[in-house]
Amino acid sequence: MMLKRIILLLVAATLVVPAASWAQAKPDFSGTWKFAASTPPNYPGSAGWGVPSPTIVVKQSATEITLQSGQYGSQMMTVVYKLDGSDTIWEAPSVTQSGSTAVVKWRTKARWDGNKLILFTWNTALNQLRDILSLSGGSLTIVRGTEQPGPSTNATLTYSKGS
Amino acid sequence: MRRTPALVLWFVVLLAFTVLTRFASSQQKNSESISVKGGAGDITGQYEIPDPNWPQWAHPYPKPGYIWGSQGGVFAESPNRIYLANRGELKLPDKVPNGFPGNWGFFNQMAATQPIANMVNCIVVVDGNGKLIEAWNQWDKLFEWGRGPHQVYISPYDPERHVWVVDDMRHVIYRFTHDGKTLVQTLGVLDEFGENDDLTRFRRPTMIDWLPDGTFFVADGYGNTRVVKFDKTGKALLKWGSRGTGPGQFNTPHGIAVGGSPPRVFVSDRGNRRIQVFDVNGKFLDEWPGIAPHSMLMSADEHVWAVDSLTDRIVKFDLSGHVEYSFGQFGTRPGYTWAMHQISADSDGNLYLSEVFGGRTQKYRPRPGADPTKLVWGRALMPMAGAGGN
Repeated sequence: MMLKRIILLLVAATLVVPAASWAQAKPDFSGTWKFAASTPPNYPGSAGWGVPSPTIVVKQSATEITLQSGQYGSQMMTVVYKLDGSDTIWEAPSVTQSGSTAVVKWRTKARWDGNKLILFTWNTALNQLRDILSLSGGSLTIVRGTEQPGPSTNATLTYSKGS
Repeated sequence: MRRTPALVLWFVVLLAFTVLTRFASSQQKNSESISVKGGAGDITGQYEIPDPNWPQWAHPYPKPGYIWGSQGGVFAESPNRIYLANRGELKLPDKVPNGFPGNWGFFNQMAATQPIANMVNCIVVVDGNGKLIEAWNQWDKLFEWGRGPHQVYISPYDPERHVWVVDDMRHVIYRFTHDGKTLVQTLGVLDEFGENDDLTRFRRPTMIDWLPDGTFFVADGYGNTRVVKFDKTGKALLKWGSRGTGPGQFNTPHGIAVGGSPPRVFVSDRGNRRIQVFDVNGKFLDEWPGIAPHSMLMSADEHVWAVDSLTDRIVKFDLSGHVEYSFGQFGTRPGYTWAMHQISADSDGNLYLSEVFGGRTQKYRPRPGADPTKLVWGRALMPMAGAGGN
């Protein structure tokens, strides 16, 4: 009887442990996402920064996530966020506070908050973006906050899976 | 009967002409008194025209070809120890006009906050003559991803005289030892902003003031719309405020001053163009409309001095909100100001004003025979433990 119970426990464990691991696995945001809606409606971003991109192409691996979108300014950009919490730093053109375009330093960082992924983007033209990504029912939700020397903005953006 | 409207119109035109002529005449007299008598009057109040060579902008601060940029803050610990919070250095044009006095505003182009600055020489200490005493270059790196220090303070009630530096753009407040050698504490989370109900993170905090027991209040700020109260260790106790225009609501709470008996918290609700008054637990008491201060100061004689972003005037209030005196005018010549951002004063009656757009800090010395009730008097600091109390 004792041996039977042990065997049953082992069988149960082999079934439960992978299920628990699966539940703790981080979501994969990969895919092409089409803008669906924003709260507030017609959210404009802030002075050309944080504007909802009509399309976001996401590629995710175990070590990094890459977003190709127009949310960082008027032009599409490909931006990499490392998933180990370390910084990624590079230089690229950006619109400065005086309205001119200059090459500025950029920095990104990411961290997980449960099943949500928080992406931080900064540049030395004093643009800041904080996106909190989550998946629900086939939709991508981005809770966005922007900071600049001008007004702060907050918005919730919803994207649906595109092709 | 038909002639009546024409007569009335003629009378109105005549009256307007008379008023405008007298106004223009008074403006002319005012400018004459400034240029001829050396700074008395409405523009510099009871102070002399500041020396444009204070502080001494000597090499290596800033380096050749550059000039100090937006001046976020100034704090006079004493007449001979003044902290300057500089938002980095700006590149000068290749050709600098003759007579360039050394301040960015001279160019009359964009504000000093607009060009991208090199974040160097962000915190420096000068003496009464404007000569450099200390440069805290070891901390320049803290400001690299922001726009430099927003303001600088020492609590009047701290015997160790820690130096507090607010960095709005990186969402933190630093507390350094008096000599700047050690960063003792960081409030907030570097580079992460939080919402109004988050007591761990700020969203572009702006200014601090203290109660005698070390409790302090932070205006937060550009992004959030609240005041956060901390105990003397930096533990957040409570917060109040939300976005709006009603009592206890804010739009850019930028300045803060604490004083009175019982103590009250005076908050510059800049975007709503008013000062709001609260008890120390955030209970709304009063509002003073018609002013939008960048910064405020509780003076030694328990008055609120506010630097108004609307009129570029320095305004003295009693603690009931009555205006007792004001002076100042927009401009870039010595004595005029362009976006005063922090106001400080020492025990000798010298006034210091940092300008974020003009890109300079000016020291205003009292003129001979100045009315002491019209001078700004800085609060005395607690004697420094183990020292003579510099």
